[in-house]
Parts: sequence; C-alpha cells; structure tokens
Amino acid sequence: MRVPEDYHYYLSRHQDCNERLLARARKFTSKDLEISTDPDAMRLRKMVSAVMGEVHRMLAFVRLKPLGSQVLYGYLKPRHRIGEHVCEHFARRAPGIIAVLGNGSESWISLCREGRIMRDHGRGIAETLERLSSAFDCPANVPDAGNPDMGDLDVDDLWQVYYDSQYCPEKKNLGVFRQRMPRRDQDAAGLRLVQNKKEVTLEDFFSGKE
Amino acid sequence: MRIGYNPLRQLAIWMVTLDKIAHLAEDCRFDSLGPAASVTPEKLSLLGEGTRHDVCASTYSPRETPLPGICHSFTQDGRCVSLFKTLYTNHCSHHCNYCTNATNCSHKAKTFSYTPEELASITLSLYRSNYIEGLFLSSGAGRNEDDIMEKMVETACQLRQKHGFRGYIHLKILPGASHAHIQEAMELADRVSINLEASTATHMSEMCATKNYENDILQRQRYIRDMSTAVNLPAGQTTQLVVGAGGESDEEIFKRIIYEYKEIGLRRAYYSAFCPQEGTHFERKEAQPQWREHRLYQMDWLYRVYHFQPCEIRRAFDENGFLQNNDPKMAIAREFMDSPVDPNVATSRELLRVPGIGPKSAQRIVALRQRQTILSKSELAAAGVRIKRAAPFLKINGWRDSTLEMWSD
Repeated sequence: MRVPEDYHYYLSRHQDCNERLLARARKFTSKDLEISTDPDAMRLRKMVSAVMGEVHRMLAFVRLKPLGSQVLYGYLKPRHRIGEHVCEHFARRAPGIIAVLGNGSESWISLCREGRIMRDHGRGIAETLERLSSAFDCPANVPDAGNPDMGDLDVDDLWQVYYDSQYCPEKKNLGVFRQRMPRRDQDAAGLRLVQNKKEVTLEDFFSGKE
Repeated sequence: MRIGYNPLRQLAIWMVTLDKIAHLAEDCRFDSLGPAASVTPEKLSLLGEGTRHDVCASTYSPRETPLPGICHSFTQDGRCVSLFKTLYTNHCSHHCNYCTNATNCSHKAKTFSYTPEELASITLSLYRSNYIEGLFLSSGAGRNEDDIMEKMVETACQLRQKHGFRGYIHLKILPGASHAHIQEAMELADRVSINLEASTATHMSEMCATKNYENDILQRQRYIRDMSTAVNLPAGQTTQLVVGAGGESDEEIFKRIIYEYKEIGLRRAYYSAFCPQEGTHFERKEAQPQWREHRLYQMDWLYRVYHFQPCEIRRAFDENGFLQNNDPKMAIAREFMDSPVDPNVATSRELLRVPGIGPKSAQRIVALRQRQTILSKSELAAAGVRIKRAAPFLKINGWRDSTLEMWSD
C-alpha cells in the first residue's frame, strides 16, 4: 500500500484516533510512514492502512438500490469513521443522484452537482429515506422502482446468474476467497443481508438485523 | 454552509439540509432504458460462461477522473469480479481445438447473441447498483468478425455517448478485425486486447487452423500500437495466452512476451492454463497444472515489476525450457548469487535480487541504513523482509546464516 500525502485525513478517520495521536503524526511525512521502521511510524502506517483498506472494501462491497429515480441507497456500518467519505464516492459516481448510506442508527447523504458536493448526516437510514420519499412523493417501500425493465430478472437476479457463470470449478480455492472477502467487511457493507434478502424484511435491512 | 474542502477530491463541500439536497436533485433522473425482455437466465449464463477463462480486472484508468480498479466480488476460486464479462455471441466460425464455441466442437451449445441495447442496459443497471466497474466484452466471430466487431463497438458507443457511461470498458479485438473498427474501439474503450493464445505461429497452427498468427493477430496488435495516442485507450493494450494447449515451453512463451512488452508496448500479459473442455478436439489432451500459470505470472512479474534482465530470467528454465514448480526468483538467486549480500552496502538493485526482499522492503532498507547500521534480522523483518527466505543470501554484521538450506527446499 502506498501512503498518500494527506494520510492525516485517513488517520483521523480511524476509530481509535485522537488529538494526541494526530499531533504525534505531524512529525512524519507520508514518505517517512512508508519506509520507516520506527515503531511509532509503523503503528500509524498500520492505522492508515486499516482505514484505507476498509474504505476500499466498502467501495467494492456496498450494493445500491434505487428509491424512485433520484435516490440510490445502501447499507453501511463501518468500523472506522468513513461513512461520509464512502457516501461521497457514490455521489460522484452518479452525479445528480442522491446517495444515501447508513444503518439503524445513522445515515449519510451526499449529492454531487456542478462540481460541488453537498452532504448531510442523519439518524437511521429508514427515517432519511422516509423523508426523501415524501420530498419526492414516491413510495418508500418499493425497493426496485426505477430499475430498468429486465424482463423477469431484477438486478440482483441478473447479478447472481452472471456471478455463478464465472466460476471455474477446476480452480476452486476457498482459502483465497475467504481472505479476499473478509466476513467482517461483508457484514459492514450489508452484503450478506443483500444476499439473504429473500428471507429478511426491509425493516431488518434498515435496522441491520439478519 | 460551506464546511470544508476535501483534499482528496479537490471539490468544495457544503453541509446542507436533506430538503435542500432533495430540491437540488429534483430535475435529475436515472436514464430510463427500454425493456430487455429477451435477456433470459440461460443466455446470460451461457454467454457469461464463455468468458470464464478470460482473465481481467478493471485497472486504474486515468480518464478525466481517475478510475480506480475495484474488485466488487470474488469467485470461489478467489478471482476478482470487477467487470461484467461476457461474450457478445457464442456463435463462431473458427476451428479452435480448445474452445467449446468452435465449429468443430461436437458438444454444440445453443447459440445466443445479445443486442447492443441489451448489453448497455445490463451494464448500466449492474453498474448503478455497484456490482461492477464496467464491461468486458469479448465474442465469438459469428459468421463474419467485422459484423460482430461492429456490434461490439456500437455497444460501447451507446454506453458512452447515449448514456454518458463513465465506467470502465474493455473490448476484445477479434482476430482479423478491420483497421477502422480497431480505431473506433480504441476511441471508446479504456483498454483493448487481442488474444495471442499461442506463443508462435507453429503452435497456433496446432491449436487453430483458421487463424493466421502473423496477419490476424500480430498485425492487429501493431495497428493498436500505432494508433495509440495520449488521449485514447488510457489503460493500454493487453493479451492472453492459453498455456499448454499448443505444447509450447515456458521459454517460448517468455520469448514471445519479451517481444510483446518491448515491441508492441503491451501493458501486461495474462496466462490461462489449458483445461480440456468436453466435445472439443482437445478434450483428451492433458490439463495443465494450475501452478504453471502461477509460475508464469511470477516470471512476468520479475520482468515487469522487478526489472530483471531476460538473461537472468532465462536461468530459471530447465534444459527443456520449463519452469519448475518453485519460485523462479529463488531459482535465479541460486544460479547467480555466489556471495552473500550485505544489506548495509548493497545497492537497491542487488537487494531486490534477494528472495524475500521486494521493492518496498529494499526501499526501506536503504532508508533505514542512512540512520543506523543494520545489525539484526529483526530490524530487517521490521522493514518487511521475509527472513526465512532471505537469510541464506544475506550477510548481516559480518555473520552469515547457514547456507545448508540455500540448496535444499
């Protein structure tokens, strides 16, 4: 992993980061952090890489669903304080569309328009989506509204069929699979909730229960 | 209220209320796409399966906003799923002896074909839900490769121009495709590739009677090289080989790859170990072990990332030109390193040649020794060196580890 120049930003998002630690970090440049074998620097490097790693895996694993045709929402409960950062990524990925991420207790809202990022931080995602759907006058409980018509296949079915088609049994290697898709991150991104969606209700999804 | 500036994205950030956000987004809508009722699970699955053995990932692609490579999922074999990887059609007029879509394959599956609209629609909806970073489009040659190539280009064109798609697109160039189609593909895609499949024309003729190696493949690679500009094709061109189907040695593959990197300006090569498919002409041919693929990647890595000289890498091959099932870097070190390396004085090039020391740990060693003399293995371990592998080749503080294990595995 390469330590970015503004690594303080990532460090400050770590769940165990505090003012004292940030002050200690001031004496290290990103280059120092990258190559130093100083125990302090190594600890900071580890913390930065933990945050960047979680950001990266959340960008990868979070799945979005449309609400009406102006909102994309998904489940997110990260260990580090990266909610708004991840949400902003999705807002930039779909300019003009409101990105909402969150869980039972908090939510992040982001919109990218005309080179500006607008954001808000709300309570549980259910409440936020409720407010958005009344603002847009569209029903909140139709998770797939606005999805293109794919015959009988919704986007999750589409994905599942495609995903299954990519598997080469002769190369099966579950060890690598588990290493690359850590359970902890799958939970943080609500991936298993999405996969089990046929059995869970929308309320379970919002409150983060399986 | 303006609350800050995200240093990463260089955008002004505003904290506003939810209602304001809703108001601002009022006139935006998703692209509405027409129905695609002819996309059935069977078609999706079969055309998806057709690219199972194609290796690819979305790579960092420096368009207007840099696109990072992201693996959105992994298959149970641990391979990255980053793109919607599919064939346009599984109808093909070639006679490739390893391929289930070949006309000489007795296990003929039903043939299917997408339309550009269907592919654009699937890609957009998977992209929107964050299942993928983009599209990887390959295909059988159909009745005529130019017709299929045209459809593939049209798919990319619809995505980019009609839907303003900013995700990643990798287009396969079909063997024998026209200069004009290649040019169009290069304008729209992040990356294009044409599969070499074999390392030489002779091996190609054993694998496939209908492709002319020099003209259909190498010549097209040169077209791509010559048409590359600073603007088009940000992620460059790549290729892939079916390892072992044509009976070639690793050294023959290596020779071809060196040519590709040096003369074609290839970004990287992918290797896929041959695995016999039912009904194909090669169905009784022996499968290649997975480790062969792995060792070829290591060899490739030594050349591309560690910048080993071809003459060094060549020492890893046995007398028949094959790599053994062990780390080629270790094999090369055993051949070349006759005296132990002192981490306090060695150049970074020398350090990099020690097994267990990679580019990053070599860099750390150089930084570390500017401040202090390296006296112990634990200091090296802290720098990221894999001591068990490196120790036999190192001399620390005038003391050298037992050489016995250097010669045994």
